[in-house]
Amino acid sequence: MTSSLVQIEPLANPFRTPPPPGPSRQARGLVGDSPLIPAIPLEDGQQYRFHFDMSKCIGCKCCEVACSEQNNNPPEISWRRVGEVEGGVYPNTQRLHLSMGCNHCVDPACMKGCPTQAYAKDSETGIVLHNAEVCIGCEYCIWNCPYSVPVFNEERGVVGKCDMCHGRLKDGDAPACVNACPSEAIKIEIVDIEAWKREYAGSANAPGLPSAADTISTTRVTLPAALPLDAQKADYHRVRPEKPHGSLIGVTVLTQLSVGGVTAAWLLSLLTQQPVRMAATVALLLGLASLAAAPLHLGRPAFAPLAIRGWRTSWLSREILSLSAFGGAAGAYAASLWLALPGSALLGAASALLGAAGIYASSKIYLVPGRPAWNMGHTIAEFFLTGAVLGPLLLTAFGVDSPGLLSAAAVAAIGQLLNQSLKFVRLIRSEEFERQASARLLSNELSRGFLARIALTVAGGVALPLAGWPLAGFVLALAGETLGRYLFFVSVVPKNMAMSFFSRQEAA
Amino acid sequence: MNIKRLLGIDTLQDKYSYGHDPRFGYTSAAKIPDRWVPTTCGYCSVGCGIEIGVKDDRAVSVRGNEGHPVNSGKLCPKGLAEHHILEAESRAVRPLLKHSGRLQPVSWDAALDRMVDEFRKVQQKYGPRALGVVSTGQLVTEEFYTLGKLVQLGFGTNNYDGNTTLCMASAVSGYKRSFGSDGPPGAYDDLEQADVVFLVGANIADNHPILCYRLERNPAKTLIVADPRVSKTARMADLHLPLKPRTDIALLNGMAHILIRSGLIDRDYIERHTTGFDQLEEHLAKYTPDRVAQVTGLSEETLYRTAMLYGRAKAPMIAWTMGVNHSTQGAETVNAINNLALLTGNIGKAGASPFSITGQCNAMGTRETGGTSSLPGYRKFEDPDDRRELARLWRVDESELPAERGHAYPDIIEACVKGEIKALWIIATNPVVSFPNVDVLTQGLANLDFLVVQDGFHPTPTTELADLVLPAAIWGEKEGTYTNSERRVSKVNRAVSPPGEARSDFDIFLAVAEKMGLKEKLYPGWSGPRDAFDEWRKVSAGRLCDYSGISYEMLDRHFAVQWPLTVEQAAALDGAAPPTSRLYEDGRFQTDDGRAKLFSIEWEPFPEQPTTAFPMVLNTGRTVEHWHTRTKTKEVKILERLSPTAWLEMNPRDARGLGLRQHDRVSIVSPRSRVDDVELRITEIVGPGQVFMPFHYFERNSNLLTQSAFDPISREPNYKQCSVRVEKTAAARA
Repeated sequence: MTSSLVQIEPLANPFRTPPPPGPSRQARGLVGDSPLIPAIPLEDGQQYRFHFDMSKCIGCKCCEVACSEQNNNPPEISWRRVGEVEGGVYPNTQRLHLSMGCNHCVDPACMKGCPTQAYAKDSETGIVLHNAEVCIGCEYCIWNCPYSVPVFNEERGVVGKCDMCHGRLKDGDAPACVNACPSEAIKIEIVDIEAWKREYAGSANAPGLPSAADTISTTRVTLPAALPLDAQKADYHRVRPEKPHGSLIGVTVLTQLSVGGVTAAWLLSLLTQQPVRMAATVALLLGLASLAAAPLHLGRPAFAPLAIRGWRTSWLSREILSLSAFGGAAGAYAASLWLALPGSALLGAASALLGAAGIYASSKIYLVPGRPAWNMGHTIAEFFLTGAVLGPLLLTAFGVDSPGLLSAAAVAAIGQLLNQSLKFVRLIRSEEFERQASARLLSNELSRGFLARIALTVAGGVALPLAGWPLAGFVLALAGETLGRYLFFVSVVPKNMAMSFFSRQEAA
Repeated sequence: MNIKRLLGIDTLQDKYSYGHDPRFGYTSAAKIPDRWVPTTCGYCSVGCGIEIGVKDDRAVSVRGNEGHPVNSGKLCPKGLAEHHILEAESRAVRPLLKHSGRLQPVSWDAALDRMVDEFRKVQQKYGPRALGVVSTGQLVTEEFYTLGKLVQLGFGTNNYDGNTTLCMASAVSGYKRSFGSDGPPGAYDDLEQADVVFLVGANIADNHPILCYRLERNPAKTLIVADPRVSKTARMADLHLPLKPRTDIALLNGMAHILIRSGLIDRDYIERHTTGFDQLEEHLAKYTPDRVAQVTGLSEETLYRTAMLYGRAKAPMIAWTMGVNHSTQGAETVNAINNLALLTGNIGKAGASPFSITGQCNAMGTRETGGTSSLPGYRKFEDPDDRRELARLWRVDESELPAERGHAYPDIIEACVKGEIKALWIIATNPVVSFPNVDVLTQGLANLDFLVVQDGFHPTPTTELADLVLPAAIWGEKEGTYTNSERRVSKVNRAVSPPGEARSDFDIFLAVAEKMGLKEKLYPGWSGPRDAFDEWRKVSAGRLCDYSGISYEMLDRHFAVQWPLTVEQAAALDGAAPPTSRLYEDGRFQTDDGRAKLFSIEWEPFPEQPTTAFPMVLNTGRTVEHWHTRTKTKEVKILERLSPTAWLEMNPRDARGLGLRQHDRVSIVSPRSRVDDVELRITEIVGPGQVFMPFHYFERNSNLLTQSAFDPISREPNYKQCSVRVEKTAAARA
């Protein structure tokens, strides 16, 4: 009787033949002329999409409750959400409701980002399907989706999202949300994909929605005849810090420290002909330890190896591959130093190169349109500068006496300070809601942390080392970069549809 | 959390697997039941058909009943998650008796002994009317009928009323005055047939969403909504009338003035079927458009447009809810609405009627059978013929029936405050949240010698004050019928067993009668709700609300049918579903002369006008996610997440003046009390000078602020306007 959640159906598929009439869910009590789901089969180059009629939606949230029941989701998880935008002046007020599931995009960012190929765009229906069997709960799809559609399910350790009730459509039944809507504001339609790529801009955008250009959302929105010019999201004023991702803070800072340390050791030995064995090894071990601990941030650590499957599209897969390669090269480099084997300079160079590739891949993970405050060159700069500040300081903390290292760290620290300040200025000046909101967080709730981060970097990266306290400098600089990374994670404001006034409300 | 889950080997596959339900198709396997039990939704009086999915005596899911004439399978968000209330943690599961200040478990036997004993003591000491009973609109009709007999004949007190007086009393009184009897003339089908639908003080998108579905099936209509707030329903309107708070009588009179002056009235109908036209015409002379524009804040042009739309429509419907009823002029506003329908002959025909959209799932059932504001079958207390007939049917002496109505609900509470009522039985209602100016009520309850609260849930703010709590079965656990706004009787069925020792209200009433030694007198040979229904059919025969042709078997077949349906009409149907019916199709009304009365109604300003100290007008209302005092819906986690806390809506201009910002925590202060720590929502949904707050949240109870002002005719409270000031909540209070 039961089948698995995510079984992707074999290609011999009922969608290409006229769907059998459902037991009765189509015919009865229809309000409008058009059917709730297409009565004709899909042809090549076509896919299913949602049509949402904003002028009909009364904001009753039946769709949201029906979706929850259909999928037995916990109450805090919504695969379909109802939001609001408001504009106008009393009594000519407009408060418009948005009801959205997954937009089953032509170019799904969730799918490209997924390191395990848990996502697939169904070749028959165009529905973006997610396979919980393969999902490792890395949550990278959540960052990628500009609509914040995928949701992490804490009790399962995997992500889930709207699949347009694929299993119901196959039987010729309307999806739960479509079926529940008392004003028939949600329907399923057939769209011609090539034509939609040309025309989507006019029909896939709506007040309260991120630009459809990011992923070419297929949801067609019918807007009311007159829209308020001043439409504002109902949740505009409630911006809350995001999850800190504690283990990711550790993993990114320590791998960057490791790459910085190994690279600094290699450069120093290249320039001074004096091998820096101990510090390089410590740097390596820190890097390896953090890589080994990295799976702990996954919802399903046991399946971490699946994360390299998506290397063709996913920067997360590429990060894992390049950092693992760095670990191997740096290990060989360290061994060559201890055993005084030949070719250590070459191994050092390879480590530095692969490490740089790893940091680059790491930073590219965060360069996603769905998270505008991350999607800036400052992210790449921040990650490299973390390595450049901490790497040399690690060496000096281990007693390597080199003014060049201290100067390099100081220059990098000043670079980091400039990078952070410039980013902040750009966030403040941005006209984009999400970037502005990030700046708002940094200058309000997070302001103390932001100032402390600056102070720690000045003290640890510049002042203390130059004053002859390299160990204290390293410790403070490490604290500064760690705090900085915390702020990086919590201050980002994801792109999302307009939510309701009470979304992100803490318990009453 | 186990290690398999931590590693991600266990992803709760079973819980999240899917399967095929034979009736409703592909869905979560956990929601697929062994059997579906058809019943009727237990929230509002739209009366949607619903099916409960039952597996191992547990309700695992619900679905709309696609064959039901009201909703064709659609449900609102509350209905879509209704099964969750059955397993709520706060269900009352055993009788509790207060002992040294604490409620402690006690057997049913001891509980009912004590209850009857205490009631008798009070009645012997202070007289029979020192016992009061406050009932509800939440029980099944069979229970209301049973309770009415128990209270009137068994306990011999007429100080008996329902929370329906907080809700529909103004509609009841208005109907009685205009048409000679209670009974909504129209039907939901009118929403689909009308060419103009005029909603007055009715936010159906939040409160009766499935009526929006019915309305949506009528694309040709023009929708007019009169509401000071730009409610969800107002936003659906073709023409929204943002009139000043409680100026609807002026609006309705102004429309009537224009209709008379423009000759858009049905003189033939008026002549043949009404009285009072000449006085009315004279009275309306002063409701000139310019004066009405001044009072209502609407432009003269808008007034004309509204009047013309209504007057020229082939079949206009006027429907209303609490914006009209919750007023010291509620009954009169209903009369002003009825005037418009009568003047234009728009009553008793498809699409055209004045129509009250009821609140609770079975407020209609108690109005018809309960014996609160009238004797069963809309019989009048004061009519000797009605009393004689009922006494005969009940085989009791006529002297046992009260010859006048006892105290209405607010007056019962006042009698408690005064010490005239010393014992009170509250059934399935939560007045500590829902009663206006609630401090008066708690004072009254504190004066009692004995308070019994019978409810499906404990604790509620009201059960916590009880001397005795009786745990009741709720929707889904018992059998009977509900009657909805359009007089449609719909079957209610038992799907699962009540929790713990909870018993159906029907069983409780019979057990109380048994304790009193009156079971055979009041309920001869009864064993279940069907016995009550069958007796009620006989008692209602020949009345306006004639149930005699309606049987459980018929309801099983067609799910819901409208009254009146006589035995003869039922026989003529030959098993088919009865067609939609409307009252007064023949223009014969229930008055002595058979004519409807036109009332000359004067508009008055609402009682508590803003002052310098309390400069704003507070309007209270509801949201789609919650039901009444949230006893049930706060237990449904998804509804609670969607609407987690009370809020106050305020216009940006006022907020700027007060230096308040979005999401600020504010205090609302009225001349009576204050509510602190309410989340501010700055919005153009409300006009300057007005604020709005939902009344669902006992944690921030708007009824601490509302006033003790009641309609002198219907006794309904004036919930919708009182004067307040708003200030930022000091941190210490929050």
